[in-house]
Amino acid sequence: MSIPLPIIGVSQAIKSIKELIKHVADTALNIVITGESGVGKEVVAQNLYFNSNRKNKPFIKINCAALPDGLLESELFGYERGAFTGADQRKKGKFKLAHKGVLFLDEIGDMTLSLQSKLLHVLQSGEFSPLGSEKDIKTDAWIIAATNHNLEQAVKNGKFREDLYYRLNIIKFYITPLRDRPEDIPPLIEYYIEKYSNHFNTDKLLKPSKKVMDSLLAYHWPGNVRELQNVLKRVIILKDWEEVVNELNSSILPTSLAVKQSDESSIISDLLDPGSLETKGLESLSLKIIKKKALGRIEKEVISYVLGKTGWNRSKACKILKISYKTLLYKITDLKLEPPSNLKRKLS
Amino acid sequence: MKKKYKLLIIDDDENILAVLSKYLRGKKYAVATASNGLEAIKLFESEGKDFDFIITDLVMPYITGVGVISIVKQKRPEIPIIAITGWGEHPEALATESQADLVLKKPFELSELDNLISNLLSKNNNNDT
Repeated sequence: MSIPLPIIGVSQAIKSIKELIKHVADTALNIVITGESGVGKEVVAQNLYFNSNRKNKPFIKINCAALPDGLLESELFGYERGAFTGADQRKKGKFKLAHKGVLFLDEIGDMTLSLQSKLLHVLQSGEFSPLGSEKDIKTDAWIIAATNHNLEQAVKNGKFREDLYYRLNIIKFYITPLRDRPEDIPPLIEYYIEKYSNHFNTDKLLKPSKKVMDSLLAYHWPGNVRELQNVLKRVIILKDWEEVVNELNSSILPTSLAVKQSDESSIISDLLDPGSLETKGLESLSLKIIKKKALGRIEKEVISYVLGKTGWNRSKACKILKISYKTLLYKITDLKLEPPSNLKRKLS
Repeated sequence: MKKKYKLLIIDDDENILAVLSKYLRGKKYAVATASNGLEAIKLFESEGKDFDFIITDLVMPYITGVGVISIVKQKRPEIPIIAITGWGEHPEALATESQADLVLKKPFELSELDNLISNLLSKNNNNDT
């Protein structure tokens, strides 16, 4: 892994996180990182790894929410050749790959109870066995788990095993939402503007005016640091603080762009037919269908964004999108796009 | 002259911290306190060699009691630790696994704690000699 993103901030919350990393990075004790989507749980995990004596060993990540149970199990523990239909060769599990390194279990709160008990067994015994194998393999993977769920609540509701909760939660990191630590916004802006200017090879942008900064500080950042990053990328491309901030405040910027921005794996689970993999197995997977769905989703997002920007002026929108008027009308119907209610009356 | 032992007491409940330290100071122990695991580890890193005994709560923010026990025992396996808890059996089992010398369930009598500390300290001294 290359050098991870630094943990930026001057708030007490961020200072405590940095301090905690320093004191526990070499202990290899199980860790749970909690916090809303987009606060930077994975960045904390990477910083832990990078500051530990395991940094030259593998850092293996798996998203527990992205895969159906059976697939997740075979990803975690691996399988032997012939373990099930289609297992035509041996596959190493993540526990094996992460031996002496880090196993980052993202979205642990979404793991099913049955897999939780298998995970608990590995954590208790330090051993696992791949599917179709009778041999137990020792593992010395440092477990760092992350979730945006409230695990205490999940334990109370019977969704998360209490014994697993205690075993994982030896060290607890909680990352405060960005809106509760606005003092971190200016240093974050400074860092990412510099980074993205270099990346997009553009001239360095002027600092935001006081008015712009006040708006940014007052905004509630539902998508946290990830949303701020997206906003800053737009500022760099559009070279206009005012416009981007106005968009933010009038919420024209589609929230899906800002908030959903979930990582690629949950997009995959989104695009797969829910449950079909479990019931019909891998054979039900079709790249063609997924491609069509993914494309449809992106088209819908882009077209609705442009329509929003043009106040649903379809002639303007089709010029911007560089498609014919007729195609645009077809897409609007096909993708079931509807103008916001305040525009509906005007248009009809 | 009798040696004055130094204890580190860790609990995120201020009241318990106050009661325990007052009582144990009265028993002629020197007492340092920490209100969470991270504070405790920092204290232990700076003056760990001065501590003769640790009493820790289990459920705490940042570094839990189990974390504190594991980290301390990696550095000083001989130091006696009592884990106190009011919770179910899972953290207790973990505490024992991470080598707490004793797990004490809340509520307990202060005199009971005092006896346990004396016993563990004298056991430790016998092992040293």
